[in-house]
Amino acid sequence: MKPIVKKTSMTIHHKVITAALPTGLLLPLLTSMAVASAAAPDGLDAPDLDALNLADSAPQQASERRDWQLFAELAAGSRDERGAGWQDEQRLSLDLTADVRLHEDWRAQLSNRLDLGWTGTPGGDHQVNTLREAYLSWQPAATQIYDLGRVNLRHGVALGFNPSDFFKAGALRSVTSLAPASLRENRLGTGLARGQWLWDGGSVSAVYAPKLGDTRSSAPLDADFGASNPRERGLLVLSQTFTDWLNPQWLLFTEAGQRPQFGLNLSLLATDASVLYVEYAGGQTASQIDRALGRPAAESFQSQLAAGFTQTFASKLSLTLEYQYSSAAPDAGEWRALQHAGQDYGRYRGWVGTMQALTTREALFAYASWPDFPLAKAELTAMLRHDLVDQSSLAWLQAQYHFERADLVVQWQYNHGDALSVYGALPARQSLHAFLRFHF
Amino acid sequence: MRRISTTLLSPLLATLALLAGPLQAAPDAQQLLAASDSIRNPDKPFALTTTLTEYRKGKQVDSSALAIYSRADAKSGQFRSLLRFVAPVRDTGKLMLKNGNELWFHDPASKGTIRISPQQRLLGQAANGDVVTVNLSLDYRAEYSGEESIQDGEKQTRASQKLNLTANNPEVTYHRIELWLDAGNQRPLKAKFYSESNRLLKTAYYRKYQNELGRERPTETVIIDGLDPNWVTVMRFSDYAWKDVPESWLQRDYLPRFKPELD
Repeated sequence: MKPIVKKTSMTIHHKVITAALPTGLLLPLLTSMAVASAAAPDGLDAPDLDALNLADSAPQQASERRDWQLFAELAAGSRDERGAGWQDEQRLSLDLTADVRLHEDWRAQLSNRLDLGWTGTPGGDHQVNTLREAYLSWQPAATQIYDLGRVNLRHGVALGFNPSDFFKAGALRSVTSLAPASLRENRLGTGLARGQWLWDGGSVSAVYAPKLGDTRSSAPLDADFGASNPRERGLLVLSQTFTDWLNPQWLLFTEAGQRPQFGLNLSLLATDASVLYVEYAGGQTASQIDRALGRPAAESFQSQLAAGFTQTFASKLSLTLEYQYSSAAPDAGEWRALQHAGQDYGRYRGWVGTMQALTTREALFAYASWPDFPLAKAELTAMLRHDLVDQSSLAWLQAQYHFERADLVVQWQYNHGDALSVYGALPARQSLHAFLRFHF
Repeated sequence: MRRISTTLLSPLLATLALLAGPLQAAPDAQQLLAASDSIRNPDKPFALTTTLTEYRKGKQVDSSALAIYSRADAKSGQFRSLLRFVAPVRDTGKLMLKNGNELWFHDPASKGTIRISPQQRLLGQAANGDVVTVNLSLDYRAEYSGEESIQDGEKQTRASQKLNLTANNPEVTYHRIELWLDAGNQRPLKAKFYSESNRLLKTAYYRKYQNELGRERPTETVIIDGLDPNWVTVMRFSDYAWKDVPESWLQRDYLPRFKPELD
């Protein structure tokens, strides 16, 4: 057992003194030292005292709980259009989400965004309302939930490309930023009925999405079910936790006119600071070019994959690197041929954009997020998309500063590549935008 | 070798006997730690609100609030928690599920649920917020280090029992903890958290004890950063309530569904 004497400077001083003392005096002295050291108060360090004084004066923070969130975004910027020079543009967006408990078992959810853009040039203005979600949920028991309405269903653990996010096809209606989070957030939900059943460590959900329209609508206030529900679709999702670190999710997707597709999501904690992930989708299907051009073609088993890792450093910097692959997308030879195929090239690019698919066979994606850099409440985010088939790239940089109820954001985007390459063909060479987001 | 005379030895032995007397009666350190855990953490599933206010050089730089729902895992005994961000407004509704080092983060806007690493502090102060419900006695081996008289969080001199905690689970964030408990009732008073390289990461003062869910519990923790003592976080706990969050909700696929009745 260790004695209860603390290693303080007082203790060392005592040792020096006791070495010169007669042994007979040792007993009472040691006894008194033991008592003294147990009773001597460990005084507060100055920083600790300051901190406690600060806490004494800390105001009571009242946290308001509410069922809705609303923010407005006012943006201004300019795009360096190829051949046309810099073009100014402005935008006002209103974004509302609400999640209201109607009754003990019933909830209603609404999510809507209105984008009003203007450029000052004839035909340059646009107004788009995106009804992202509007649905009712009924939870008759802790382990059963049923939904009816428009739901933004999203699956996938990858950051830059989500093969298993089957309902992303046709979901984009108004693109205001190429940030992955923005593309996932600002999209149309799907009209559907869903049931979810839970057990300890696992869950299964079944989704049925009927066909509700034929064609996309550009009418500003249209709910656009033609874009979100152009075909009858179904999805089964099963998750099971095996251990703390192994928690896969399996998906089975069916669509009218297509063979079933299988999906898998898996992410693992590799170290205290890194997460590995893999997302996969596969099944019998035609090549992307054949599907885009509506050509009759033989189907074969095709795979789509996104695999990567996120490493977080002590400085709070998180860095994600991701490899993306789609066997149904054109390889180098097919891509070169398509680039010289005139209208077919344009139709293919349009189809890929709508489906949010990979344009060519392979790509790399890097994403860095650095909160509180270079100063507290600021955040620097950078993204690089690099096509491995034609070596074109998209670079994107975002700087944010968070005020209490507002965010000031500056975004810069640069597209590099040959004229008909994946990123070189985008209309703007580069763009610079600033916006102020105010949370009500 | 020189022989030690009995005249010299006897007073020394008597001294040692006096010193050793109270040590033989030293309380079971692990039991003390468990007792202190039960003061911080209720023994049934519960909910509370944690408000975090962050200061740098004496100036408030940030504040946030989390609603926390916890229940002890039937197998491990460790707490599994659902954390829902209440404030600031830009983070309202975001959720984190914490089960040891298994962390899932859900953003209701993008509908995405991703696994994050313990180091990935997506929302800054959550790193402090989620240490609220931790049963230290499950992850640490405690050694009784004796009684000390310390200044507690109320700046009062108090007799304390000091415990040295060593991690027996390599996955924990803090590899060593010094913990001071009130000698009279095992209330946690102060703690120092160290990294694997023995660097002081945080000092915490547990204070403002009030009756919550049947016993006196700390309603405020003051955390001082180990590297930068000018970085102070004040955590206040309120809205304690018994809430039976079903086991089946503590999984990734329930996060998009979770809406507390408190909201």
